[in-house]
Amino acid sequence: MYKYFAVFILTLKEYFSYRLNFLIWRLRVFIGFLVPFFLWLTVTKQVKNFAGYDEKAIISYFFFSHFLSYFILGTRTVDIASQIQSGEILNLLLKPISFFRYHFFRDLADKILNLFLSFFEIFLFFEIFSIPFPSTNFQFLPLFFLFLILGLFLNFYLNLLISFWGFWSTEIWAPRFIFFILISILSGSFFPLDVLPKELFSLILFTPFPYLFFLPVKMISSPETLINKINLNSIFFMGSFWLIIFFFLSCFFWQKGLKNFSFWGR
Amino acid sequence: MFKKIKRNLKILLLLTYNSLKITSQSRQGMIFFTLGKILRFLLLFGIIFLVFSKTKIIAGWSLKQVIILYLTFNFIDTFSQVLYREVYRFRPLVVSGNLDLILVKPYHPFLRLLLGGVDLFDLLLLLPYLFLLLLFIFQENVSFFSFLLYLVLVVNGLIIATAFHIGVLGFGLLTTEIDNVIMIYRDLLNLGRFPIEIYQQVISLIFTFIIPIGVMITFPVKALFGFLSFKNIVFSFFISFFLLWLSVKLWQIGLKRYQSAGG
Amino acid sequence: MIVVKNLIKIYKIYQKTGRLITDIFFRKYEEVLALDKVSFEIGKNELVAFIGPNGAGKTTTLKILSGILFPTAGYVSVLGFFPFEKKEAFLKQISFIMGQRNQLIPDLTAMDTFLLNKEIYEIDDYQFKKNLQKLTAIFSAEKIIHQPVKMLSLGERMKMEFIAALLHQPRIVFLDEPTIGLDIFSQEAIREFIKDYQKEFKATIILTSHYLEDVKRLAKRLIIINKGKILYDGSLTAILQRFSQIKYVSLILEKKVKQEALFKIGKPIVYQLPKVIFQVEKKELPRIVAYINNKIPYLDLVIEDEKIEEVIKSLFKNQR
Repeated sequence: MYKYFAVFILTLKEYFSYRLNFLIWRLRVFIGFLVPFFLWLTVTKQVKNFAGYDEKAIISYFFFSHFLSYFILGTRTVDIASQIQSGEILNLLLKPISFFRYHFFRDLADKILNLFLSFFEIFLFFEIFSIPFPSTNFQFLPLFFLFLILGLFLNFYLNLLISFWGFWSTEIWAPRFIFFILISILSGSFFPLDVLPKELFSLILFTPFPYLFFLPVKMISSPETLINKINLNSIFFMGSFWLIIFFFLSCFFWQKGLKNFSFWGR
Repeated sequence: MFKKIKRNLKILLLLTYNSLKITSQSRQGMIFFTLGKILRFLLLFGIIFLVFSKTKIIAGWSLKQVIILYLTFNFIDTFSQVLYREVYRFRPLVVSGNLDLILVKPYHPFLRLLLGGVDLFDLLLLLPYLFLLLLFIFQENVSFFSFLLYLVLVVNGLIIATAFHIGVLGFGLLTTEIDNVIMIYRDLLNLGRFPIEIYQQVISLIFTFIIPIGVMITFPVKALFGFLSFKNIVFSFFISFFLLWLSVKLWQIGLKRYQSAGG
Repeated sequence: MIVVKNLIKIYKIYQKTGRLITDIFFRKYEEVLALDKVSFEIGKNELVAFIGPNGAGKTTTLKILSGILFPTAGYVSVLGFFPFEKKEAFLKQISFIMGQRNQLIPDLTAMDTFLLNKEIYEIDDYQFKKNLQKLTAIFSAEKIIHQPVKMLSLGERMKMEFIAALLHQPRIVFLDEPTIGLDIFSQEAIREFIKDYQKEFKATIILTSHYLEDVKRLAKRLIIINKGKILYDGSLTAILQRFSQIKYVSLILEKKVKQEALFKIGKPIVYQLPKVIFQVEKKELPRIVAYINNKIPYLDLVIEDEKIEEVIKSLFKNQR
């Protein structure tokens, strides 16, 4: 197990050598955050109750959304596809280390580092613009952690799956691009999913999207408005269902990919 | 004089033709990317409708006005991306040293470095955007003069975009960090998808007068509906030509300080 | 054609301290003197080779002469132009070929790049056809000009680079390490090509290389440069006359000779009977040859020059 801890530390070290790049990356993430935040702030300032959200609730939602965004959605598994293409992946496969676990710990280091920074950023931002800090309902914290773990693993396996496209095609950016667009709109990072009309929202709950990001963030920011509208058991069941699907699909395509791929290039 | 223009045009056409040949080699990618862009366009469009189904006005802007703003943004963003695609490939040219072989050719390097990668396929996407934009504009009661002013200011916005891309090239001669610079520009530009008024005072001021996103996108639409002050119109032209001049200066300085790769 | 007087080029290399704020706002830089008051003149139809170790300043010189780099100080005139200004009339008359760098578009065929260059250099149809034919004939490369460049081998690609660069019949050709990384056969082909090209088109060719083979085969004039200073500017044969103090005397002995007799010549560097080789100073040669003729019974006596490589190496060593 120690070797995975080493992976963790190594990933952190990598970040420190690419400091400038990393900080510019955080700047970009923050700029991206400004659009939905201000849009919805302006909307709720004007309309006191927008689909169940008032100013306070929207501030709370986006506070936690920015804080958790990279932690849940961020990943380094994007590198995998190009590593397959270049043959670099062989280096990892020939070592006595589990591929899945290696990338999981790499991601973990990545996520924790970004978590600290995003908290720092959002804290500073709220201070400077004198926006009141939101609070959270501790009663729902266990639910939050449940959906957080579900979301983390769901994202992990889904991202792996997309990276495995590299086994069959040289154009690895294409599916990731589409996936990225779908996620940025439908995950809940641009708008809280439950502002959608009731029918649409119920439909979306059958897709994997809400479980990727929206549900954990909702549970920590303003769970009260959601709890009465949905059946907790059924959404938890749905989320787990998708997790199992992605888990088996990624294992399956991993095995298939290894067999079929001829590791051309270097 | 005309001979020169004709020759430059011929070179440009050849470069564009070559660029088309290269992109058609990766058909799969082309389809996916186009699909992705259309998807994003539609989804964000949907959000606008979603917001306005529950409220009539946002920060002084009506639904139709916000739509026209969004479509204007799309047009300017897509158009400059189509034209200046080659700028995104500048860094590998500098790092590999192949840039030198371009600088030694007897034609203006901008023909190749700025305009040499025109994406004809993406250009096709521009047509439906343009069509939608004009459709929505003509549904409103806009005077001919306002529409003219709008067009001029859109072109002005494109000049700012051009200045920016030239600036990136100049920067690229001095440092290898330009990938980040381009990406920050795209992120900042994205702030212009919605009216600049939704941002709180300080930020809104910054993005109008210092990093002129507001000038590029919000101003033309404001002019269309007669909300743009004369002062701001003058400022718009001033800033675009200033930035253009600045960017060309940056390129020239970059050339003098250029140290080339390897040896 | 080319006049360079007291050319100075200083590079500013930024030092990364590892501390973030320092690296962005208070960058420290080190100044490297790449060219230190370099002067020379090159006329029409010359083939000049610049040699020197890595970092000597060869490529820097070429890049300044072609207008890519801005000189820090000094006078540079090529074909009457100041190269950095990159005037079209100037650029149309020169060409730059760098080994390991490409002007060919990798995803398309070489012919596609040729056609682009035809427009850029404003070559008329007849001239284009004629030059293309001549150049491809020298390389016997008629078939490969229509293949995607990324599919070609390194040697084939280099040949295509040459054709692309010479279609417009430049008056001055700059070649920066043109044979680097190529196999022996490709190197040979490129060397033959350069020789033939100069004969046919009467261009001025300036070549930099690490390979002495390139220099020996092609250049009549040699400029040796190290640490930004010109150490030698003259013909290849004259360099031995000027700098070499050493001759090698090889003996094949007829019969066994007493060691003391042999050692009177000096300490041999090769002592594998019947072969003995001595390293002697030039000025001692007459005395030693006379001695050998009188006292040593030999089957064969050969006197050889020091290898040019050795001469040049010692030139660099002495500079320190």
